[in-house]
Amino acid sequence: MTQTAQQLIHNASAQLNHVILGKPNQVRLALTALFAGGHLLLEDLPGMGKTTLAHGLANVFGLDYKRVQFTSDLLPADVVGATVFDGKTSEFNFRPGPIFSEIFLADELNRATPRAQSALLEAMEERQVSIDGESHHLPDPFFVIATQNPQSQSGTFPLPESQLDRFLLRVSLGYPTPEVERKLLQGKHGRGSLAAMQTCITQEQLIALQHQVPKIKMTDALLDYVQRLIAQTRERDLCLLGLSPRGALALIRSAQSWALIQGRDHVLPEDVQAVFVAVAGHRLVGRRETQGDQLARHILNTVDVIGGVRV
Amino acid sequence: MLDNDYQISRQVTYRGMVWLLAAQLIVMLPFAFNLPVWLVPVMLAATYWRIRVIKGHSAQPKLLVRLFVITLGVAGVLASDMTLLSLDTMVSLLLLGFAFKSLEVVKQRDALVVVFIGYFLVAISFLFSQSILAGAYGVISLIILTGALIANQQSPAQQLSQYATRSSLSTAALMLLQCLPLMALVFVLMPRFSPLWVIPSFESHAKTGVGDTMAPGDIANLSKSDELAFRVSFTDKTPAADELYWRGLVLNHFDGVTWSQLEHEYDTEDLKSELSFKQPWESDNIELRGDPMEYEAIYEKTGQPWLFTLTPTTRASGKILQLGDYRVMSRGDIQSSLLMKAISYPDAIRDVELTDYSRKVALQLPETGNPKSRELAKQWRAEAGSDQAYIDKVLDHYHQENYYYTLRPPLLGDSDTIDKFLFESLRGFCSHYSGSFVFLMRAAGIPARIVVGYLGGEWSESGDFVSIRQYDAHAWTEVWLAGKGWVRIDPTARVAPSRVEGGLEAAVEYEGSFLEDQLFSVRQFKWLDGIRAKMDAIQYGWKRWILGYDKASQANLLKMILDKLSSVPLAALVGLLFLGIFLLWFVMLGLMKKRSYEAYEHRLYRKFCKQLEKRGIKREPKQTATEFALLASQKVPDKADDILSFSLLYQRLCYEPNGTTDGQDSLKKMRRLLRQIA
Repeated sequence: MTQTAQQLIHNASAQLNHVILGKPNQVRLALTALFAGGHLLLEDLPGMGKTTLAHGLANVFGLDYKRVQFTSDLLPADVVGATVFDGKTSEFNFRPGPIFSEIFLADELNRATPRAQSALLEAMEERQVSIDGESHHLPDPFFVIATQNPQSQSGTFPLPESQLDRFLLRVSLGYPTPEVERKLLQGKHGRGSLAAMQTCITQEQLIALQHQVPKIKMTDALLDYVQRLIAQTRERDLCLLGLSPRGALALIRSAQSWALIQGRDHVLPEDVQAVFVAVAGHRLVGRRETQGDQLARHILNTVDVIGGVRV
Repeated sequence: MLDNDYQISRQVTYRGMVWLLAAQLIVMLPFAFNLPVWLVPVMLAATYWRIRVIKGHSAQPKLLVRLFVITLGVAGVLASDMTLLSLDTMVSLLLLGFAFKSLEVVKQRDALVVVFIGYFLVAISFLFSQSILAGAYGVISLIILTGALIANQQSPAQQLSQYATRSSLSTAALMLLQCLPLMALVFVLMPRFSPLWVIPSFESHAKTGVGDTMAPGDIANLSKSDELAFRVSFTDKTPAADELYWRGLVLNHFDGVTWSQLEHEYDTEDLKSELSFKQPWESDNIELRGDPMEYEAIYEKTGQPWLFTLTPTTRASGKILQLGDYRVMSRGDIQSSLLMKAISYPDAIRDVELTDYSRKVALQLPETGNPKSRELAKQWRAEAGSDQAYIDKVLDHYHQENYYYTLRPPLLGDSDTIDKFLFESLRGFCSHYSGSFVFLMRAAGIPARIVVGYLGGEWSESGDFVSIRQYDAHAWTEVWLAGKGWVRIDPTARVAPSRVEGGLEAAVEYEGSFLEDQLFSVRQFKWLDGIRAKMDAIQYGWKRWILGYDKASQANLLKMILDKLSSVPLAALVGLLFLGIFLLWFVMLGLMKKRSYEAYEHRLYRKFCKQLEKRGIKREPKQTATEFALLASQKVPDKADDILSFSLLYQRLCYEPNGTTDGQDSLKKMRRLLRQIA
């Protein structure tokens, strides 16, 4: 971990924290997802600053940014693009959709029909789009931020578990504290200051950081702890649906990424704990209507950090 | 987690129902051998119907339909060839109800009722058969029933797991296994009370064993069966093969064709009262001689009261009846295996004085019939001069003339059978020889009678016990001589000595008629003899120690244990037993092994936590080493340095990939810090 990299990350989060007031943890989780090469799901009520965060991220990294407002009449072609007939050349040309961007913001994803949702989610997983038998690669880095209203609201199509699994982290912003709210009301921060942001991490630097994440080391004692957590999510009395192996990989990748942001070359249990709710919350299905978040928190509170087998 | 009412009122799930039906079929199966055959299709049909209902092909039967089916079933039971209010009828009704109950199982409560009735039926099935196989089958039934019980108590999610069936089964088996020590303890120590009621007899069971009359041909039928009659083990000395005459009943009355016990028709109760009145057991009419022989017999279920003993048996245990003709009878019919201990004096003189009644019945002959034989008897008696000489002459006659031992004798017709046998056919087996011999004796004025029972038996491989089978059935005679009392004479021995020494198999070897009708008898296959003998020994152990474990055995065992042990070692033994059970329990719960799996640094850290807990700082499971160390160092400022260094060492050792190189050193330091904190 070079000093400059640490400096870069610090600058980035400082700028973001200026835009999204009072949510350093959520900002750090967003960066975690970005460095880990995963996608981010922001779930909150309308008007909590989801779009602002997405916008801020794009600005800080100087990335190409496009945004689509998902509605119930949105078609897959509106997202991924379509082949269009060109009258002059008499040829069919592929016109890329908004998804061909480095940061793609899918606003209110759960308002779109499952058909449109799955077009996006397929692109997220494959990192390419196939249209008329032709594959088109998406740019690298490719980072999807989807925002979603809580499903209890009317006119939404809840994402099925299999698609939720595609998102590395799910983060809720939540109401601001009174002090923060006061500052917001005074108008010095928030969306208005987006334009003042400067790019502080280049695309190359971002890719280099992303390559560093898998190299963050994990000891047996740490993996023991992770496995204890995973085993607990699979306890039948507790969860109907536990963490899949993909979920488990997401957990350690996120923990590594978090450790990187903290400037360490190894993962501590603290890192795992910091990302656990964001990783597991949308993947777990509890028994008796328990919210996944609550369940994840409960598991975190009951599983012992200490202990493990000496190999 | 869920309250009880909810559990009980829950619907039975598909899987729970399948479990229940499987358990029901398994429980009902053994009854198919003993109860009316039509119950089997009814049971299967009820199961099939219920399966259709759970698959949604049929509707749940309405009340009227159910009433109709039940009425039909009850009518069927009543119409079957069974006495009202007998055990068979009751069990049939219960089975019917059990089979139909599955049709209305909807709630979990109903499922519990079915399982509990199932347990009851498993117990009832032992009234019909008590063999080892039945025992093993009972255990399997119990496991499946308990599995069904568990499957019906699981939450739907648990049932969805792919291992649900295996887990229900293994849990059931484990639960029953855990009951085993308690079961053994209860079996050995629980006082054996005699039942307050008497189990009504099973009419569906044909009576087996020797009959109470003898016409020519009867014993030949028994010779066709290799079923076990009883087993005997001797305490100290074992008698020779030709001493093993097992006395069953005594036939005194001859009507010209058939020998029977009494002159008139009788049932078992009449017989018992008449015999105990007219021929009561008189111990002072015996002159004891020689050494006593102690033995222990286990009789198979026959549905008859006859017991088979060595002559004369002077003392015997249990609810038995000893009579003046030296037979021993059970007071009730033998409905389950019966263990009896007895003492016999084979050399004793029986009936020093012959009572008038005994003499009268031992000389009885029909008024007419068999003129040639009567003539012959008178002539020979006159020629012989003495009773003994006459007896020898008759026996020599059997020996020297062309008599022939066969299990396929010619038919003798309805009258003058003795004449036809003695002068025409000369072919027959024990009943022919003993019948004709007694006739000749009585015709000459010598008191004589026929004894029916078994002869010989097969020694087990180890020589511990003799097994007597139905084909060992035999009839011989007794003659009363002044000064000698009743003397056993076996005329068959004169014709076919091998019958006495080598058993029936040897006697009819040349003829090949041994068990010839039993195509599938194991006895037909010589190469199976070894296995058969082993099985026999196991069966004997089962009968002797499990089924035969009664009040007396219990008292003996306890006395033996208590005599050997004074109270201190006994208490120690019981204590050890309980300790063993608890240890086993701990191992099963996994409490013993959990800690030892943990690496040393984690164990050190737990000690560290324990030390701090004494100071009132408890670590939550979620707290990481750093968090906890910071918290603790604030609360215990004077040890703050040690706490922080310990925690740092632990964290390095555990989580830093390069921190493990000086592992031993760190551990040493941690130990030292731990001491300082303490």
